Amino acid sequence: MSDADLIEVKSEVEFEDGDRELVDVNGAEVGVLRVDGEFHAVRNRCLHDCGPIAEGAVGKKLVGEFVEPGKRVEKDYDDDEPIISCPWHGWSYDLETGEQLADDDIVLPTYDVVVEDGVVYVDGSSS
Amino acid sequence: MLRSDESQPRQETLDQYYVIDGDCHYMESFHDVAEYMEEPWKTKFENSNFDEKGAKQNLSSFFPFSTGDRQAHGKIEREHSSYPDDPETPERIREGMESIGVDETLLISHLILAGAGTTADDDRQSAFAKAYVEYMREEVLDPDDGIHGLAPIPYGDLEASMEILDRIEDEEAYVGACFVTAGATPPLGNRKYDPLYERCEELDLPAVFHTGGAGLDEYVRAGYQEMIETHTLGFLESNMSQIVSLVCQGVPEKFPDLDIVFMESGITYLPGLMTRLDEEYLKRPEEAPLLEKKPGEYITDFYYGTQPLEISAEAEYLEKCFDMVGTDSLMYASDYPHWDYGRPTTVADLPFLSEGEKKQILSENAKEMFDL
Ligand code: FES
Repeated sequence: MSDADLIEVKSEVEFEDGDRELVDVNGAEVGVLRVDGEFHAVRNRCLHDCGPIAEGAVGKKLVGEFVEPGKRVEKDYDDDEPIISCPWHGWSYDLETGEQLADDDIVLPTYDVVVEDGVVYVDGSSS
Repeated sequence: MLRSDESQPRQETLDQYYVIDGDCHYMESFHDVAEYMEEPWKTKFENSNFDEKGAKQNLSSFFPFSTGDRQAHGKIEREHSSYPDDPETPERIREGMESIGVDETLLISHLILAGAGTTADDDRQSAFAKAYVEYMREEVLDPDDGIHGLAPIPYGDLEASMEILDRIEDEEAYVGACFVTAGATPPLGNRKYDPLYERCEELDLPAVFHTGGAGLDEYVRAGYQEMIETHTLGFLESNMSQIVSLVCQGVPEKFPDLDIVFMESGITYLPGLMTRLDEEYLKRPEEAPLLEKKPGEYITDFYYGTQPLEISAEAEYLEKCFDMVGTDSLMYASDYPHWDYGRPTTVADLPFLSEGEKKQILSENAKEMFDL
């Protein structure tokens, strides 16, 4: 990464939890989100039919655990796995890796987000 | 603030084609339709507290009447579908069409799909269907602007169904008759429905069979746990059961000029159904004595809406399915604004279709069949 690859988003103090910003990264529209304090950046173009994925609901991955035969599968949300869902038809992706939850061969481009001198940047060389 | 400059991605692709949508849903409200009801239904509906206490779609998120929340518990957001808190208005139809790249549309009632689950009497559905036909004609449909309608047929009540067919005889706004396949018992090939098909044939009105979510939890058997199960199977089962019934009972032979369309189960189920039925027919043709050819050949004579098209399937497999069904039998359908709607891109993007075939599916087949 060189400084030339950094695309400025906005200052860190103004970037509150839950905020989202769109920036242009080498001609691609990228959504930058702050979720539970962490920054994430994803290409704003769903791999299903190009829906505005970065505008979608942020949630957590639901995981099921088989406890024993005949018992209900235990289902709960995994706090460590934030996901984002496309508002058009619900395709969901891991916010960190970009993997489609139902098929990890489908990967939404994600980008590194860095904070330097109090300013949030997307690393354009990181997708 | 997040404001995308790609509000309509792939606009170039959408602009390339003239698109007729064979299956769009107008989210009508009970309030609006009730105005057109006959008594005692008018008073009953008007006093049913649809604002204050009426059952709401969002109730289904927690106490589902069909296994799960259509919008996948908050994942899917859709303009034009915050029903019933914000039912559709005629002014917004064009806006909805433009939002998915459609030029002309065929509207099907949203509420009648749920009405098919009414099994206690054959009266409510008829009262609703009759009023719906008047309401849409008067306030919503606009054929000059490409907004056409399909009249719901409450087939459980033959008399009311015939009245509706008589009513729309000279109404340009109605281009077809809609039979909801969910809940049709006996299935729609039964001879009791013959007069309806005869009349449709006479009026040159295609019979559009549309699957639906009514009674989805117990579509054949109770006990499924999730909507992914009931929606996958139930929508398919409702269409498959009626296709088998229509074909085996000889409806296409009895009414050879009747155009038959099936909506909303994608297309990959058809080759499976055709081949299985043909296999049975070779062993027991005496049980379908009206047939002059194999059942699968009647199935490919019918038309099919594309939605929800299985676009993630292996292209080679999907191509084979298109070949078997025939591109002259397919018409683009969006099912907008329902949760799993498809844009015209679902068809335009298929790598194995020629430009001519894409045009056929996106508009020409519908134009010809519905005489638009
Ligand atoms: S476009 Fe994103 S789920 Fe369909």
